[in-house]
Amino acid sequence: MSDAMHALSIWLIPGGPLAAAVIVGLFGKSLFRGGAHRPVIAALVVSCLLSLWQLGTVAVGSGSKPTENGSPVAGEAAAQPVRTGPIAYGFEWIPVGSLNIRADVQIDALSAVMLAMVTFVSTLVAVYASGYMHGDPGYPRFFAELALFVFSMCMLVMARNFVVLFVFWEAVGLCSYLLIGFWFERPIAAAAAVKAFVMNRIGDAALLIGLYLIWTTFGSLDFSDVFRDAKVHSYSPGFSMHVLLICLCIFTGACGKSAQFPLHLWLPDAMEGPTPVSALIHAATMVTAGVYLVARCTPLFVLVPEAQAVVATIGGITALMAALIALTQNDLKRVLAYSTVSQLGYMFLALGSAAAGEAFAAAAVTAAIFHMFTHAFFKALLFLSAGNVMHSMGNVIDMRQFGGLRKVLPVTHIAFLCGAGALSGFPFLSGFWSKDEIFGLLLNGTHHGDHRVLFQVLFWVAFVTAILTAFYTFRAYYLTFFGPTRIPAEAFAHAHHDSGHAHGDAESAHGHNGHSHVPVTAAQSEPVAGDPTQIHEGPPAMKWPLLVLAAFALAIGLIVGPTHVFAGWIAQMPTLAKGEAETFQWLLAGASILAALGGIGVAALMYARPSNRPQLVRAAFGPLYTLSLNRVYLDESANILVTFPVKAIAFASLLFDQGFIDLLVDEIGSLPAIVGRFLRPVQNGLIQSYALVMLFGLAIFLTTILQLVPFP
Amino acid sequence: MASELTNYLIVGAVLFTLGALGFLTRRNLIVAVLSAEMMLLGVTLNLVAFSYEHATYEGQVFAAVVLTVAACEAGLALALLSALYRLRKTLDMSVWRDLGEPGVDLPAEKADSAPAHPTPAQPYPRLTPAGRVPETVWTETRTHV
Repeated sequence: MSDAMHALSIWLIPGGPLAAAVIVGLFGKSLFRGGAHRPVIAALVVSCLLSLWQLGTVAVGSGSKPTENGSPVAGEAAAQPVRTGPIAYGFEWIPVGSLNIRADVQIDALSAVMLAMVTFVSTLVAVYASGYMHGDPGYPRFFAELALFVFSMCMLVMARNFVVLFVFWEAVGLCSYLLIGFWFERPIAAAAAVKAFVMNRIGDAALLIGLYLIWTTFGSLDFSDVFRDAKVHSYSPGFSMHVLLICLCIFTGACGKSAQFPLHLWLPDAMEGPTPVSALIHAATMVTAGVYLVARCTPLFVLVPEAQAVVATIGGITALMAALIALTQNDLKRVLAYSTVSQLGYMFLALGSAAAGEAFAAAAVTAAIFHMFTHAFFKALLFLSAGNVMHSMGNVIDMRQFGGLRKVLPVTHIAFLCGAGALSGFPFLSGFWSKDEIFGLLLNGTHHGDHRVLFQVLFWVAFVTAILTAFYTFRAYYLTFFGPTRIPAEAFAHAHHDSGHAHGDAESAHGHNGHSHVPVTAAQSEPVAGDPTQIHEGPPAMKWPLLVLAAFALAIGLIVGPTHVFAGWIAQMPTLAKGEAETFQWLLAGASILAALGGIGVAALMYARPSNRPQLVRAAFGPLYTLSLNRVYLDESANILVTFPVKAIAFASLLFDQGFIDLLVDEIGSLPAIVGRFLRPVQNGLIQSYALVMLFGLAIFLTTILQLVPFP
Repeated sequence: MASELTNYLIVGAVLFTLGALGFLTRRNLIVAVLSAEMMLLGVTLNLVAFSYEHATYEGQVFAAVVLTVAACEAGLALALLSALYRLRKTLDMSVWRDLGEPGVDLPAEKADSAPAHPTPAQPYPRLTPAGRVPETVWTETRTHV
């Protein structure tokens, strides 16, 4: 294949979704209407196939010679048996003095993995959404925004320099905002969208400062230059301070995007968006952009173990806190959202565990990316299953209002079980392998490096979080699918006046005031008010993606985990030091199996059958339960600590503006009127007065001229 | 040394000044026009005087041209004056103050110095309109007629 074709095939990966987004966005309403998903899915399939092909070339080329395809550091690349990945050249974007920003893309191992994950999951989610969003008035808009998101995400992971990355970092944030607020008629969704956008902006501001620092420190914004120089200059004085600042700024940006403490508050609220969006953007892909960024910048982070310790600590805090909150949430999607936050914390734990030493950097990135990869599949699966439940239950998502759905929704039940097993680290499912690698890394940290005590704490935090994860996942599972069959009244209202598969989300967007809202609480176990056979699974478009994802959730870990495929891929990154591959530790694996099974067992004891055990446990924990139920009062704290002072400042500014600045402006504005009051009588309209002024003027003029001009 | 030229120039200056004073003090439109003509003549006299002094004809010719122009101008002015008179039925120049700032009062005038505006006993006779008034977008305001 010629170079031009190769470059074209790379550009097609983001270009296809962009074209679909433009076409559907402009002509969706008039041309496609109910078929707006077709161009988007077609483009996504093309992207997905090309991404898989790129991943294949990266994987196959592990041992082959480095590509000559425009390696930025040709000498080094030739010296090391690494591949920088194919580059597709774009155009010179910002040539300003010595700063030359090019819009090029590159696919190295990390990008290839991300691309494959993003395009594959988004293809499945788009297929799912074609069923889920059916009948929504904003159907074409949804798919246009979805395609735009995939384009932005692809460009984000393929960027070759920080500026392009930042642009698409913002673009995915924008798409996230648009899709969270998809049902913008609902004030709660609009508020959630704004909250997500603003909290992301906080992180983005830090990231931008990080970019300025990189520019002042390295004089370049290209990944290759920066990472090469980071090695070269690592001994100059004051350098590590700069790098520490840069790393902290980058990590703050990653915190905002990946919902890490304390910038995680937007993610649970983002569940107000349509469920496919929650699955794709707020579980599988966009929120992992922060992980990707930190993984990408690992060559900087390895220079400052303190920054990595911060990363690991924040990751640990987030993982534990989110897991604790997830224990008591009643909203199925909220449980999954907090679980996402917690799992992202795991990824940052993994990334930060390279603080133990530079030799672990490659393993740390491998573990984080591996967990991200498996997490994308099983969390998307869980969200899509939750979407199925929501679809069938008339948009009721409160787990207290339904139960025993395993006979009503058999396919969804199986899919959710696969996802839950993978998430909780059930032996030999995908989550088990990736979590195990993280445990191994943390355990390494307790033996090496300067932060042994910290890693001991973090190891136990991760371990406890694993137990909690297993517990809350299966709590949600048992509450939803076990116990006596309970179906909320909305489901029947939905089933009755719903012919075909017209979806009710749109109608919930306008509020279902017309329905009789009879919540069936957990305490009651009365017979169902309708015939369960009326409740149907979604259309086939909503089943098949679930089954595919379920297969991946079951098997991907077994395929990728023990074979260390990822380690082989990541090792090709020229910027990472070679480290020893993670070995499978049976003792650790046994412990994590015990943790998972223990959590599942406790959940089964408490929730598999209706009993008073949950009440007993609730009573035993008392205030802790309330704390968890109210999300540790973090939203309220943020309101008091951040929002209220900001509002107070805004109010003070308003007073100052209206009381002082406006006054000043008004006074200055009245000045011409005052002057005019004195000048107006001159303009009295009487011809004689004008003539008089003219005469005097002429006299003065002539006198002056005659005095100035010398008499001949 | 009061030469011949100086005398001519003095006469011209006197004419000009008288015209200016007349223009500035009288409110009657016709008198104002006459005063303006007088100023023009004062200036034209200078042309003739210098022409005589230098014994050339250019000044004389130029004076003749100025007189012609002045005649045309006077005719035009009188036509305008009669049109103005038709609108307001007065020749008082202070009635036409549309260019001035609204609300600005004139300097107070002495009570007995200004004669009361003569009101014409009879409006001018008009031809009886023949035929239909043509329908145009712009219609003449007939309020003052």
